[in-house]
Amino acid sequence: MLFNSLTFVVFFVVVVALYWSLSGWNLRKNLLVVASYIFYGAWNPPFAALLFSTTAMDFWLGRQIGKAQGQRTKKRWLVASVCMNLSMLGFFKYGNFLLQNFQWLVARVGIIYQPPHLDILLPVGISFYTFHSLSYTLDIYRGVLQPTRSLRDFILAVSFFPQLVAGPIVRAGDFLPQLNHPPRLKTNQFFWGLALMTLGLFEKIVLADTLLSGPADRVFGYAGPLVAMDSWAGVLAFAGQIFFDFAGYSITAIGAALTLGFHLKDNFRFPYAAVGFSDFWRRWHISLSTFLRDYLYIPLGGNQVRPFRMALNLVIVMFLGGLWHGAAWTFVVWGLLHGSYLVIERVIRIFFEDKPWAATPPTRVIAGFATYGAVCIAWVFFRASDFTIASRMLTGMFGGHPNGDMILSTRELLQIGIVTAGVIGMHWTMRDESFETAVIRLPAWAITAIGSIMAFAIIFTQGNSNAFIYFQF
Amino acid sequence: MFFRKPTREEQIHGGPPLEFERPIPPAPWRGITVLITIIVTAATVAWELYARSLGYAPTLNDNEDLWTLRRRAVEPESIVIIGDSRAWYDVDLDEFQRGLGKRPIQLAGGGMCGFPVLEDLANDKNFHGTIVCSITPRLFFAPPGTPPFERGTKVVKRFHNQTPAQRVSERLAMPLEEHVVFLKQEELTFDDYLKKLPIPNRPGAQVPPRLPPYFGTLDRERRSRMTEECARPGSELAKRIQQIWPPLFQPQPPTYIPKDVFIKKMGEAIGKRFHDVADDVAKIRARGGKIVFVRFPHSGGLKQIEDRDTPREKTWDPLLQMTNAPGIYYSDFPELKDFQCPEWSHLSAGDSVEFSKRLVPHLREALKM
Repeated sequence: MLFNSLTFVVFFVVVVALYWSLSGWNLRKNLLVVASYIFYGAWNPPFAALLFSTTAMDFWLGRQIGKAQGQRTKKRWLVASVCMNLSMLGFFKYGNFLLQNFQWLVARVGIIYQPPHLDILLPVGISFYTFHSLSYTLDIYRGVLQPTRSLRDFILAVSFFPQLVAGPIVRAGDFLPQLNHPPRLKTNQFFWGLALMTLGLFEKIVLADTLLSGPADRVFGYAGPLVAMDSWAGVLAFAGQIFFDFAGYSITAIGAALTLGFHLKDNFRFPYAAVGFSDFWRRWHISLSTFLRDYLYIPLGGNQVRPFRMALNLVIVMFLGGLWHGAAWTFVVWGLLHGSYLVIERVIRIFFEDKPWAATPPTRVIAGFATYGAVCIAWVFFRASDFTIASRMLTGMFGGHPNGDMILSTRELLQIGIVTAGVIGMHWTMRDESFETAVIRLPAWAITAIGSIMAFAIIFTQGNSNAFIYFQF
Repeated sequence: MFFRKPTREEQIHGGPPLEFERPIPPAPWRGITVLITIIVTAATVAWELYARSLGYAPTLNDNEDLWTLRRRAVEPESIVIIGDSRAWYDVDLDEFQRGLGKRPIQLAGGGMCGFPVLEDLANDKNFHGTIVCSITPRLFFAPPGTPPFERGTKVVKRFHNQTPAQRVSERLAMPLEEHVVFLKQEELTFDDYLKKLPIPNRPGAQVPPRLPPYFGTLDRERRSRMTEECARPGSELAKRIQQIWPPLFQPQPPTYIPKDVFIKKMGEAIGKRFHDVADDVAKIRARGGKIVFVRFPHSGGLKQIEDRDTPREKTWDPLLQMTNAPGIYYSDFPELKDFQCPEWSHLSAGDSVEFSKRLVPHLREALKM
């Protein structure tokens, strides 16, 4: 079920009304479990069974890790959990990709192997809920979480519908404690949640789908060479689209959770005002970057190793981060580019961090724009469906097609320009504060005006129930 | 301030040492929400009244889910209408039911290539009914990757992959669309208004041609009827649409492929289409099904373009020859050839009834009914 669909509106109203009208906390939690499985099953009912089986397995494995006496036994159960989760993900998401690459590899040594094409349907949001579930056994192993005694509560932690299919990646350790006591219906929290949902849907329906997705799709779908302006416009449009699409989903999820009395952490913090790539990853898809940091980068040695090893760790983490997004080498290149950016940034810091000019505002602004430009270049690989398109786009962006085609209308160029300037300006304005503190500064009439414009714009735009980009991951 | 230590009870799950709580900006949120609701409701009502004052009437949106709803209604022996918008506007379902003994199912669509739908029906092993397929060569022979072909592919894909949520959304949307005018997509949305902005393009920019504005209504059976405004002789709307067809029916070849290579590729794609259609027709017939191709009326400047660019002897004649299927070319019959299309491509609602009535005997003969 998509947030930007009529079905969700009806579903949400019914669930919220029933939830707050029930008096028993257990009844409410049962309702949320049923609602979350309906929400998920509305895509493809059989996949709800897959979700349940993964969850039940991790619940059991979590208990085994908790009960195990020796570190080695704990480790064995953890390995079982990691293998179970990753093999599920591997089969559904990477099955055909692995077979194709195996075919290519054996062909290099002269073996002709024709693998069967597996007609696998990707369960929506599998990358997200696998990580929700995996965080549970990992945290029990790390000793920061005790196994829960309630299977129902764990099912709810993994499948809670606002964050189930496209994040944020909510760790069981962040969610389970919230199930200990029934939240009280707090008026301000409830209406603030609705306000966040309006903002999220505005970002998705109006900004991402209406103003940016059309030009981005046309540029990346064009089979011929494009002039620099159209190439850059397409990339900037995609940079804006993916931000508004994903941040919009996260904000809607956070708002929906708040209306039910749950607190989810921020997933974005004005990323296009990042100065440097470490800063970017502290602001973009925070739930993924912290997941990778805590469960992969730090266990690999993190910063506590020699510089070369640290650089290698960064590249490994970003390589896997890229692969997490999709079963294609273009995603891997996107991840590796970010890994290289992080390594280069560390090297630059070694040489220039102490220079007096390094922290001056002009330097920071220049570094910020350089970061944004490099992030946009990486987006080319994220969006392009193959390397031919990516290479054609990059050639166009750097003036390699002076006689290329112009396919965007002036109106589209203006749309992209205005939205891009707007998002960068907003991010720089609010980069050192939270969204909430920015709202506090606004008078009530301004909040009302902005809220009315956004809500009416959603109705005026209508949307066409385009799926969120991150659903495919 | 946003963090607090968990209580002893909260340790049941052994949660992390700190539990997160989102900050709520202090503001009169209830009042703000009420005010927003009032303002947005008033603006929406005003917008609805304005849309009605412009002459728009409530109608369903033609989307993949509505199409899928009709596709699901196809039974093994159904009569199914497929193809482009001419079969969509020009066929009256009541007249067809009266003349053919069964209510047909309308699966044709605006700017749609009928081939993907034909192929889907050919591969549906349960189907052995009758297909009435509209042929507008520019659309029917559109190769994969072009908008007409993609429209056909998209609806078929939705039929096979429709999620329960999409199904419910369509059921919920229909009653709303039947009563609320501003829900008309591709016409009254923010995006459409942006497209109407009079901003000149760069010289040499290859911007896709505009699509025609609203000129028809649609019901739950996907019966499309031309609006009275468009059907009115000499109407401005009809004249405006007449100017929109020529660029749509004369697409420019891409600049990045040499023209001769492009023409060769197109020739190959069309040749393949003839063979694929013949295969599909054979499959349907092997199961006892029937098919008839129909060329619907078109007139004015558009007819001149079609006669010149997609002449009958290169499209219609080889199609019938290769498929060995019956065909009805409207201009071959005196009782069908004199219909005039107000905007050059479709019949008015009134004429579509009369045309359907006159077409039925030819269909019966072609299908040996």
